[in-house]
Amino acid sequence: MELDISGARIFLETPIELPVLGKLVISETMIVSWLVLLIITGLCIWLTHDLKEENISKKQAVAELIVETANKFVIGNMGEKFRYMIPFVAALFATSAVSNLIGLVGLRSPTADLSTEAAWAVLVFILITAQKIRTSGFGGYLKGFTTPIPVMTPFNILSELATPVSMACRHFGNILSGIVINALVYGALAVASSALLGLLPGIVGDVLSKIPVLDVGIPAILSVYFDWFSGLMQAFIFCMLTTLYIANAAES
Amino acid sequence: MQVQELVGIVPWTFIAQILNLFLQIYLIKRFLFKPVNEMLEKRKAKADAQIQDAEKAKTEALAMKTEYEQSMQEARSKANEILATAQKTAATQSEEILKDARAEAVALKAKAEADIAQEKRKAVNVLKDEIGDMAMEIAGKVIERELSEKDHEKLIDEFITNVGETS
Repeated sequence: MELDISGARIFLETPIELPVLGKLVISETMIVSWLVLLIITGLCIWLTHDLKEENISKKQAVAELIVETANKFVIGNMGEKFRYMIPFVAALFATSAVSNLIGLVGLRSPTADLSTEAAWAVLVFILITAQKIRTSGFGGYLKGFTTPIPVMTPFNILSELATPVSMACRHFGNILSGIVINALVYGALAVASSALLGLLPGIVGDVLSKIPVLDVGIPAILSVYFDWFSGLMQAFIFCMLTTLYIANAAES
Repeated sequence: MQVQELVGIVPWTFIAQILNLFLQIYLIKRFLFKPVNEMLEKRKAKADAQIQDAEKAKTEALAMKTEYEQSMQEARSKANEILATAQKTAATQSEEILKDARAEAVALKAKAEADIAQEKRKAVNVLKDEIGDMAMEIAGKVIERELSEKDHEKLIDEFITNVGETS
């Protein structure tokens, strides 16, 4: 029994090649990301189609709930002046959550590719830095690294860089660990069921031992934690950290 | 089929994901936040208008109530006035009526007394005449003689006095 846990598959390798960036390849991550994009946008269009002022339908109530929750979340964590950040945080959360949950239908989550989280984390890092510079000026931003004493400068730079790295790796690690554990459980259960049914005598045992009976049902229970809970939790944590870091940058 | 490394950053994917996120921000803004916020704004405006209408109606109702109370007060005072006048008129009238009645009663009594006195006198006169005649007759019959003028008179008086004493 061999178990293969690999990265995203590469569907197409284009001849375009640039220095530093390398060959342009269309990977599973990109394809599923576009699918996620379409799903979220389609959901938004479906939810907000036919809006009414009174006597609202259930789907309009859901749309209003989503908008109000996003407003409350961002304004509650960052304050009224960051109202323009609402679509960013909402898009981040929706993309992350749907990307994590899309693994449930057998597709490979885009969030199981470190490139995705790295992209988001770098974007958040740029926003944090921009907010810091806006708050205390460029000189003030640089001077911030030497506090409380100039000796601390390397450590401050390190901790500054650790923010995006930790954000990206936390998210990626959680999703990847879910995939790895799921694959291990599937493999182990297949081996177990094969061994169990192989005990049957003759050809019946040979045929039945090829069918991984124990794979039915049991992994679904693990999926509740690794896909549903962990997937939504990581999306929430990523957005929470984003808002808190940016709000923090605005204060100091 | 080729696969990527399990843990690694692919530059093209990195760029694509940043662009995807920007696109997603735009799309979520355009298709979720804009319509819903517009709708919420409209609903809020409507609710505000309704509250204003309600306040206006309340003010009007209060004005009407004041007016009503004022007219009620007026009506009450008018009714009191009318009642007072009526009472006064009634008192005056009853007094007048009483006075008239009393005067009439007094007049009636006086007249009755006068009548009674007259009747009495009349009766006395008639009696006197009759008694005189009777006396004369009785005297004539009893005595059967001529009486002197002097005796005559003396007898009558005697008689009358007797009658007066007995009656």
